[in-house]
Amino acid sequence: RRRAVRGGGRRCGSLGPSPLTGSPPQALVDDTEDVSLDFGSEEELALRKAKIRHPLATFFHLFFRVSAIITYLFCDWFSNSFVACFVTILLLLSFDFWSVKNVTGRLLVGLRWWNQIDEDGKSHWVFEAKRVPTIAASTEAEARIFWLGLIICPVIWTVFFFSTLFSLKLKWLALVIAGISLQTANLYGYIHCKLGGQKSISRGTSKFSVTDVPKRQTGRVSEDRIEEHGKTGTR
Amino acid sequence: FAGLADVSISEDIPVEGEITIPVGSRSPDEDYSTLDEPVRDTILRDLKAVGKKFVHVMYPKKSSALLRDWDLWGPLVLCVSLALMLQGGSADSKDDGGPQFAEVFVIIWFGAVVITLNSKLLGGTISFFQSLCVLGYCVLPLTVAMLVCRLVLLAGSGTVSFIIRLIVVVAMFGWSTLASTAFLADSQPPNRKALVVYPIFLFYFVISWMILTFTPQ
Repeated sequence: RRRAVRGGGRRCGSLGPSPLTGSPPQALVDDTEDVSLDFGSEEELALRKAKIRHPLATFFHLFFRVSAIITYLFCDWFSNSFVACFVTILLLLSFDFWSVKNVTGRLLVGLRWWNQIDEDGKSHWVFEAKRVPTIAASTEAEARIFWLGLIICPVIWTVFFFSTLFSLKLKWLALVIAGISLQTANLYGYIHCKLGGQKSISRGTSKFSVTDVPKRQTGRVSEDRIEEHGKTGTR
Repeated sequence: FAGLADVSISEDIPVEGEITIPVGSRSPDEDYSTLDEPVRDTILRDLKAVGKKFVHVMYPKKSSALLRDWDLWGPLVLCVSLALMLQGGSADSKDDGGPQFAEVFVIIWFGAVVITLNSKLLGGTISFFQSLCVLGYCVLPLTVAMLVCRLVLLAGSGTVSFIIRLIVVVAMFGWSTLASTAFLADSQPPNRKALVVYPIFLFYFVISWMILTFTPQ
């Protein structure tokens, strides 16, 4: 949504002489052509005040990771079968990896990373950070939950790794290694995004990669539609 | 700019325009913004990509779709189902084939990693995850073979059933190897193709051997 901006800014119209022309607002600018405020509705006001704007995303961000850890710790209570526990934990870890990478990252902190293969077969890792805040952008609380969840869980899985190794319960080792690699991959990707985002110049989005992002057939890659006043996220 | 020093803009002319922050490239990608799409779209899109790859494995022809868009969901599902079918014994006892399950897992993933490293060391142009993706997806025919073997074993385990299983496993083994070499061998220089195909052959051979020698307790 682009709006023509006249004179002194978005809320002009009845603010007196416009600074650019130095004369009273012209007949072109009358009250019916005021640029209306974006955030007048009650729903949006409530959204801005809420501490957590994406409750579902926050829940799922933590749900899969924490359930994987709990299942690992208490698998003997749930079931006698090693296989069932193994498969359950593995599926939880995979869902967690997918949801943190594809959904909660972009909703909670506006960061995204992915891998891309160009025509030469070279693979590029692209890291992207959204800079312009929108109405439904994340809050402090959400960002804090995101990073805490992202950092604490790989640490816990590393502890499990050592405990498995030293107690010689080696059949769990494959699972613990899978857990560590999946969660560390997400952690590494997001830290890369975050650090890169802080270094870049102020643009709508900061994107740093080896090549420019070409258009892809499947549409997994995108450009952010970041405009002057941002965009309301659909959730 | 010297010539412009005496140009002045009349103060009666209102100045208006649009202020937008230019984004990287204003390409037609605006239709493809995945940053704000509903979650269900993301899920469906990924599921479709996985399904397309399964179809590609069954009818291998040299297409780049399998390679461009790698994902590891298919290999994970195949690996888990193969490992589940390969474990012997009842599923509810303490000693329930746990080690065999993890074994199959480790063999498949570790084997795929070693093959990928091998092909990279030989100078291949394919990336690490692409190769893992292809090798994982090409386990599909062998998973089908395992399913067929289990069904045949339900009927009996005599010589006839062994012959049937042998034929099925050999056929699927050939299919897997052909499918994966169709995708992977192209990325190598011509004089190295045999060096790359050989570990793939071994990898699927080991898996086929595990399938063929499987006997339920």
